[in-house]
Amino acid sequence: MNTIKELYAYRQMIFSLVRKDLRGRYKGSALGFLWTFINPLLQLVVYTVVFSFILKTNIERYYLYLFVALIPWIFFSSSITVGAASVVAQKDLIKKIYFPRMVIPISYVTSCFVNMLLCFIVIFAVILVSGAGFNFAALLTLPVIMAVEYLLALGMALLTSAVTVYFRDLEHILSIISMVWMYMTPIMYDKSIVPERLMPIFNLNPMTHIISCYRDVLYYKNMPDLLSLVSATALGVFFLIFGGIVFNKLQRRFAEEL
Amino acid sequence: MNDTAIIVKDVTKSFKVYMDKGAQLKERLLSFRRNRYEKRQVLKGISFTVKKGEAIGLIGRNGCGKSTTLKLLTRIMYPDSGTITMNGRVSSLIELGAGFHPDMSGRENIYTNASIFGLTKKEIDSRIDDIISFSELEKFIDDPVRTYSSGMYMRLAFSVAINVDADILLIDEILAVGDANFQSKCFARLKEIKAQGTTIVIVSHSLGQIEQICDRSIWIYDGLIKAEGVPKEVDLEYLDFMGREMQENTQVSSADMPTEENGRRWGNGHARITKITSYGEDDREKNVFRTGETIRFVIEYSVSKPVEDAIFGIGIFNREGIQCYGTNTRIDRVSEFSLDTSGRAEIVLENVLLLPSEYSFDFAIESGEGIPVDYCRQIYKAEMISNTGDTGISRINHKWSV
Repeated sequence: MNTIKELYAYRQMIFSLVRKDLRGRYKGSALGFLWTFINPLLQLVVYTVVFSFILKTNIERYYLYLFVALIPWIFFSSSITVGAASVVAQKDLIKKIYFPRMVIPISYVTSCFVNMLLCFIVIFAVILVSGAGFNFAALLTLPVIMAVEYLLALGMALLTSAVTVYFRDLEHILSIISMVWMYMTPIMYDKSIVPERLMPIFNLNPMTHIISCYRDVLYYKNMPDLLSLVSATALGVFFLIFGGIVFNKLQRRFAEEL
Repeated sequence: MNDTAIIVKDVTKSFKVYMDKGAQLKERLLSFRRNRYEKRQVLKGISFTVKKGEAIGLIGRNGCGKSTTLKLLTRIMYPDSGTITMNGRVSSLIELGAGFHPDMSGRENIYTNASIFGLTKKEIDSRIDDIISFSELEKFIDDPVRTYSSGMYMRLAFSVAINVDADILLIDEILAVGDANFQSKCFARLKEIKAQGTTIVIVSHSLGQIEQICDRSIWIYDGLIKAEGVPKEVDLEYLDFMGREMQENTQVSSADMPTEENGRRWGNGHARITKITSYGEDDREKNVFRTGETIRFVIEYSVSKPVEDAIFGIGIFNREGIQCYGTNTRIDRVSEFSLDTSGRAEIVLENVLLLPSEYSFDFAIESGEGIPVDYCRQIYKAEMISNTGDTGISRINHKWSV
């Protein structure tokens, strides 16, 4: 409770770090901020070419099917992989001045989140251009889904960023984990093709639920499946609390370990 | 309870000093449970309380634990055992300019930096004019910080930190910021802050600064509090101790001795200065003196070839490299002498009015019309301290009548 109060007092710091990160990210590159959009678009092109022309799928508008899942996934995976290094990256600050340490992963995840929001502009543009149309009522649930994903990503980032301080290999291990995790989540394929006996594992994966909610709203134009949303929220809250507790325990020795 | 700002109780802290730390998986696995480290206990049980509005100074030699204490107070680190209670908002002048981004303007950096101290946008908005005017950087405030000189950078950083309006202000080795004018301004501001009732904890080597601001000095020695009390008394005790026991540590290390190789020593070498020692009024060997004290230097030399018509010379330079005084036996019309065998010479500087700074000394042997025999630049270092706030290079004895 105290932590939350303190974090609230330091909200301006979170805000400045997010702004600094967003502004600094593409500093000096010719296309600058446009990379925010180019990167996911190019990934979309690659996957679409592979799955529509080489490994032919029978999913209609596959590019859209993939895109509405890929953007949220990129947010999640960059939160845990690059987010893991966030505390280590700010070691100069941590060794020299006091502030609630959680500010760092929070602002990192938030800046990834803002990036995702910007990418959603592209998603909406793609939906418009493709003529797939929107279900406006369902769209209203989108912020809820995003919020749940944010909580989950934050929980994971708290966990990974704190552990990385003590165990630097984690950062590299995580890039492998995130790749495996991506294929273990129905992003490029449909949940329906997952073998029955593997389903329990998929159901434990919070990203399965979150991705399917995004897809319900943006691709199928339905209200999200309530059970999925509730499971995702429960798992998200669990990871947030767990990550928060671990972070709080580990942060006491940050200054010495860095 | 309500009039105490800081309570430190039985605090201990030790660090693991790894011989060879394996942070990688491979190393962890290969040397599982064989990570060799030494536990170094830096604080061995420290307790003190600070009342609201009180200013205390932590003194002690390098590695005694005073900076660790300050870091524990800021909560950068946590104690192994014992408790620390801080009542009120804490600001620290430990790391100035935390989070400065070189490409952002001075104004934007004020916002970033102040936010790290936990200020909200509204609070920063209300202080920004004070901060800018204190820094005297009005003209440059919208330029990127990378275009600033290091002095301007520090001025900006200091201005932010000092305008946080904290209840407790922690300071580590400050007031080396900017030029003398800005320093005295900072000092004045600190006194103002103190007068407003802010609790201040200072860690400094400059006893003079501590004596000017603090109500109480705490001397930490080897992880324990050795003495505590009125700064002037504790500082004297500390200085005596330093003079007696730590001269080896505080003297110029042999690595820093002038040699021909590092270009700080030249001459024909017929006679060589072998050792410089300095003594205070009580004939005790030391190299920290109070402004106004009498200092005696003993110059030991060896002679390999007799030096006719020899001259001894001394030059005193402050931290900025400005020569504060210089003389030699010729200038002072000491009757002609020559050096035939190894021996020692002395110079007594009476009533040295140099103001607090670290001074380096040149000593030289010359002969005839100034032919260098052994010229040693920066062969000796000494520090002056004072508890008055006058500024400049040297005090001039004076009297006011108003």
